[in-house]
Amino acid sequence: MSMTLNSTTAANRPFDPTAITRPSPVLLKYYMLVSLVGGPAFPLVLLPLFCKYVTLRYKFDEKGVSMSWGVLFRKEVLLTYRRIQDIHLTRNIVQRWLGLATVGIQTASGSAGAEMNIEGILEAEPLRDFLYSQMRGARGLADVETTATSSDPVVGAQASADDEALALLREIRDAMATLAGREAPP
Amino acid sequence: MSQRVERASQWIYTGIWAVLVRWFRVPDHPPTLPTAAGETADSFRPAPGFLNYLTFHFWIYLVLFDGAVLIGWIVVTALVWWLGLLLAAPALVVAVAPDIVAYIAIHLRYDTTWYVLTGRSLRIRRGIWVIHETTITFENVQNIRISQGPLQRYFGIANVLVETAGGGTSTDAHGNQIGASHQGLIEGVADAARIRDMILVRLRQTQTTGLGDEMDDGQPVRRFSPAHLAVLREIRDTARQLAETRA
Repeated sequence: MSMTLNSTTAANRPFDPTAITRPSPVLLKYYMLVSLVGGPAFPLVLLPLFCKYVTLRYKFDEKGVSMSWGVLFRKEVLLTYRRIQDIHLTRNIVQRWLGLATVGIQTASGSAGAEMNIEGILEAEPLRDFLYSQMRGARGLADVETTATSSDPVVGAQASADDEALALLREIRDAMATLAGREAPP
Repeated sequence: MSQRVERASQWIYTGIWAVLVRWFRVPDHPPTLPTAAGETADSFRPAPGFLNYLTFHFWIYLVLFDGAVLIGWIVVTALVWWLGLLLAAPALVVAVAPDIVAYIAIHLRYDTTWYVLTGRSLRIRRGIWVIHETTITFENVQNIRISQGPLQRYFGIANVLVETAGGGTSTDAHGNQIGASHQGLIEGVADAARIRDMILVRLRQTQTTGLGDEMDDGQPVRRFSPAHLAVLREIRDTARQLAETRA
């Protein structure tokens, strides 16, 4: 029951998280559906969710991500990609119908729940894979088409061309390649 | 006879699965992980023994539950015979309906559980109504726990629990994961030792504690970068090719 596959989450166009500042309007629809569960308390449930939707802002830069929301009580969460411990992508049935997902990011703080829940992003899977590529232990996946944008300064800095060891390795490779070409039967 | 039943249940199950995929948007393909050039992602389900293990539990609960229903019905019938006759049909429904639901749920649970492992990280997908996907890099792993009960040993499976830093684990009495927490549970795999070794190799290589940055920004890292590895892989392939032409 095991199969090997290469990465196929390919979205051909490059995914640019810095363009994300607001949740998709679909999130408001989702919040309305969620508050319907409250029955008669519908307006009471919807109001804070509506406020959250209206004020929700995301900011992705090359080091980290911040999100802020709130009207009366304002909240802002900031974290750096490198401190991400694990990423959770959660989709309940309503979210799947609407094409939404919740991307939960956990750092090494003491809480069991996610430190940041990014909601209302239609491109949740590319976003998750972008965050993954910026995580400790996964960085340097620069040559992955799914996440890397070549203009990304963080990823681009990883493989510096003037790396001496790398140049030496390339020379060895080329020498071996010519050797192999000479050895091969015509 | 039994073959026909099997084929019918297979057909019904396929139908349920199609409804789930079509109307409930359950992904019918395995999850993937972004990989570097030359790396492969290995996606797999729990071992078949895990399904047998779940089914075994199912039969035990079925015998206990249906036995209780049967005894209750016999007692009622012995006391008031017409009430027993009246209750025969409802008792049968109460005895059978949950079994069917549970049996289908077991198979769906097995079919929707996926694990993806690459050289550097793992991804776990679990759930039907709420689908959880957890991604953890081995670099962040703090410890690995393997647990195997006597029944699991009989079925040749074990659970691997991968934990990252941070508290507040939310597990129930059986060590099953509830919601999001700082851990990934690889449940019911036959080759727990292989997975453990794979993660351990990676863990031993890292020089940090897995608590954030390793200060490599702006400073040269004394480690092979993916570019190095890619070239090294090419050298290996060329060397193999050389060896083959020589042979």
